[in-house]
Amino acid sequence: MGNKNSMNVLEYIKENITYLDGGMGTLLQKKGLQPGELPERWNLSHPEAIIEIQKAYFDAGSNIIATNTFGANCLKFDEAELKALIEAAIDNAREARASSVGTQEKFIALDVGPMGKLLQPYGDFPFEEAVKVYGKTIAIGASYGVDLIYIETMNDSYDTKAAVLAAKENCDLPVFVSNAYGEDGKLMTGASPAAMVAMLEGLQVDAIGANCSLGPKQLASVVEEYVKYASVPVLLKPNAGLPRSENGKTVYDVFPAEFAEDVANYVKQGIRICGGCCGTTPEYIEATVQATKELTPVPITDKGKTLISSYTHVVEFLDSPILIGERINPTGKKKFKEALRAEDIDYILGEGITQQEKGAHVLDVNVGLPEIDEVEMLKKVTFELQSIIDLPLQIDTTNVTAMEAALRLYNGKAMINSVNGKEEVMAEIFPLVQKYGGLVVCLTLDENGIPATAKERVAIAKKIIAKAAEYGIPKKDLIFDTLAMTVSADSTAALATLQSLHTIKQELGCHTSLGVSNVSFGLPNREIITAAFFSLAMEQGLSAAIMNPNSAEMMKSYYSFRALHGLDENCTEYIENIGKYAVATSVSVSVATDQGTGNPAQFASDLQRAIIKGLKEQAASLTKGLLENTPPLEIVNGQIIPALDIVGQGFEKKTMYLPQLLMAAEASQAAFEQIKEKMSENPTDAVVREKFVIATVHGDIHDIGKNIVKLILENYGFQVYDLGKDVPPEKVVEKVLEVQAPLVGLSALMTTTVPAMEETIKQLRKNAPFAKVVVGGAVLTQEYADSIGADFYAKDAMATVRYGMEQSNHS
Amino acid sequence: MADNTIFVKHYPSDFSFLPINRSEMARYSGYKSQADEQVDSIMDEVIFDLQDAFSYKVCYRRMELLVEDGRPKLPFSFSSKSLEALLTGCSEIIIFAATIGIGIDRYIKKEMRLSPTKGLFAQGFGAERIETLCDYFCNQIKEAVFDENLTCTARYSPGYGDLPLEVQKDIFALLDCSRQIGVSLNESLLMSPSKSVTAIFGLKEASNGCDSTSPERNKCKACSNNDCAYRNSENN
Repeated sequence: MGNKNSMNVLEYIKENITYLDGGMGTLLQKKGLQPGELPERWNLSHPEAIIEIQKAYFDAGSNIIATNTFGANCLKFDEAELKALIEAAIDNAREARASSVGTQEKFIALDVGPMGKLLQPYGDFPFEEAVKVYGKTIAIGASYGVDLIYIETMNDSYDTKAAVLAAKENCDLPVFVSNAYGEDGKLMTGASPAAMVAMLEGLQVDAIGANCSLGPKQLASVVEEYVKYASVPVLLKPNAGLPRSENGKTVYDVFPAEFAEDVANYVKQGIRICGGCCGTTPEYIEATVQATKELTPVPITDKGKTLISSYTHVVEFLDSPILIGERINPTGKKKFKEALRAEDIDYILGEGITQQEKGAHVLDVNVGLPEIDEVEMLKKVTFELQSIIDLPLQIDTTNVTAMEAALRLYNGKAMINSVNGKEEVMAEIFPLVQKYGGLVVCLTLDENGIPATAKERVAIAKKIIAKAAEYGIPKKDLIFDTLAMTVSADSTAALATLQSLHTIKQELGCHTSLGVSNVSFGLPNREIITAAFFSLAMEQGLSAAIMNPNSAEMMKSYYSFRALHGLDENCTEYIENIGKYAVATSVSVSVATDQGTGNPAQFASDLQRAIIKGLKEQAASLTKGLLENTPPLEIVNGQIIPALDIVGQGFEKKTMYLPQLLMAAEASQAAFEQIKEKMSENPTDAVVREKFVIATVHGDIHDIGKNIVKLILENYGFQVYDLGKDVPPEKVVEKVLEVQAPLVGLSALMTTTVPAMEETIKQLRKNAPFAKVVVGGAVLTQEYADSIGADFYAKDAMATVRYGMEQSNHS
Repeated sequence: MADNTIFVKHYPSDFSFLPINRSEMARYSGYKSQADEQVDSIMDEVIFDLQDAFSYKVCYRRMELLVEDGRPKLPFSFSSKSLEALLTGCSEIIIFAATIGIGIDRYIKKEMRLSPTKGLFAQGFGAERIETLCDYFCNQIKEAVFDENLTCTARYSPGYGDLPLEVQKDIFALLDCSRQIGVSLNESLLMSPSKSVTAIFGLKEASNGCDSTSPERNKCKACSNNDCAYRNSENN
């Protein structure tokens, strides 16, 4: 390999303040790089320019030079050129190292910048593809020989994770990672520095920090957060302030002396590796070396923090119990099982959102059902949950393949549920934790089952800690579940759980977790005794509970505990929240009674009014009242559909507008929910119109219009199969054939994606000639629709409904 | 003076800095009639939910505009008669990319599942925010070049008139948008975050027949796409 140094870079950074290089782009521009020209090509076309700059950095005192490969990836260059460019870049850096007069230790880092594509779901680039793109660059560089991989200027946590996984899967070299923060102290996609610390330390990255975007002064809060949370060396590479133009030349507003002084201050706070980014030159590095070389480096210490993260923030396990919502789990839930079988992701997401609103800090995700493909389902649910909910997830499965798939896809550091004292299970789970990071729930049971006594459970905990250490997993990343057992079956069960909890917390210094509701199986009014047990467990130092945040009793215990334990200053949160729980049950009873005694005729006209006005709650409660003595179908045909028609016609006549159409649709949906519930009590055949497959075409990621059409179609009784956005033509054909749908709706927003729409129609004509195709979207016109062979051009959602109704009346 | 510098601007995220234009928000949401209590309260809710969601950024470049055979030479690999006409008489151009960040995309995605009406208003709000940001930026440049005796034309974006979307590739290469402000371009030439704008406008001598109307008032006027659903008819 290419490391000709006497010392490994990891050993070096442990003992010393380490210096990186400075900016490259601005210096290349001075040497004639044109706007829009790819700087990586200069490795071959102008090697002398690259060598000169990098030698100057080594001469100025840099220990680590990054190769000129920031944008060297297979999206920009074909494979042969990519290989030639990267190897030339490494040769250039080696030449700079060989010719430098500097006597310091010198290392060469393979520079890996972001590929410039946003990952799904907010962009259209798949995560695994990103891992491949970075993997190619890293494989070439590592096999040619460098000392480390430097992943830098990443403004998205997910993209960062893709690059880090690529590094781990393509080489054994040390990996440094540096992210680009905005003025708000967050990455472009929202992650805080602490969230990045949690994720990257979980991925066992060797040094982490920040570069680019801002000058040194603006990075103060970012630096502070890094040195507070990080247990690995922290690096910093600020810009020379902001660029401005002076006589046609780009100048930056922070000069070397000021820059060096600012960086020196950060070194005193704990920064261990420093350099410069945009606008900095060898002068800046030289000044920084001068200003810091006499400083004693702040020791690198394990901060001992137990952290998990989502794509925005960390959840830190401290004195206040963490609430892990347990509702995304099919066990004992008929509706949830149905949703899983029907792949009703909306229902599952709804459970997630409700728990977040009720105060959960983490969501447990368990989608195991014998008759479904758990691997695919867990991937899908993880992906969808992290698209719209910013809470960290606890991946809960006994299927190791599903566990790995979800951990890989997860954008952050997850909780892992679970491992236990069985050798076989530890051998399966710990390698996953080692690779992807995570906080692991450890059940205190082993091959011999669940021990009856606290002493034996603590012994298992010790065994698990020792085993985890073999994989490099620290104690802080283990959280022990001492197993709540049913107290009605064994009156000492709760005590054994609480005692082991206490011992593990106090003597082993580990965090603890419990699935508290198990304690009350077989008892009446379970919530009451579960909540009491929860309080006792918190008193013993419980760090986290897997619980139902919808349970008023549990939330009362939680807020009370916090207030009583000095965790809620001035009882603010207690005062703010407790009202909802104190009166919740009595209110819902009285509302129900009111609805039962109303006058049916009054409900009817009120229901139409509520739908037209878009009043969701009213529409639901009025429908409920009406259902007492009116057949469901009569309400649908006599009230809901006429109300929708009034709004639909108003929309067509332009006396009402799109928002009102949607509001009415949402209100009628709330009414339909009530109807459905009633119908599931006494199943009668509901009127269902034709099947309608809808999709936003391949290459198009805007789906607002399509979603609106979906909602309105559902309101009018169509059975809608929504394939989502960016859907390849084959997928549309496949679904149409599978469900034999007579109607297809395609949406495209951009002129660039209309060809994909045309292709979809072509394939439908060939393989599913029975299907009528409706098209719509911002750029479409009647002529356009005709030219690509659509059956109908729908200018808006109502036009789609009308066409669909026309077609179903014909058939 | 024109040069190769890519400038980056960050703007404060509180609404007092870039005040909300509620009627534009409603217009972009497809709502055109008089105030309605229910609509108003949903708009309030959306605005409240999104108060911390925005991160306003602009990157731009000021370049010399060369003239070839009497026609402005665009720094793109495509030509456009309508843009050439707009830039005739200009000595320099400003090319910029602006974004309000990805928070709004997350919110829209979530609300499209929970309450499509709120999702719709959020999308209208996002459109209003990015346009307001562009207007603010253009006015800022206009004020800055006033001392140089220069004034600005209306801004013009890929997709307006006969300026093809393909020039997005040229603009992204010139502005390094992904690194500078976190905006990326996909194969279909769509930008992420979705509420992002790229545009170009010209600078010309103030005495050179240019009026004092503000760029935003001219933006729809300058475009030949008369069928655009969002064409602002008041300005035509």
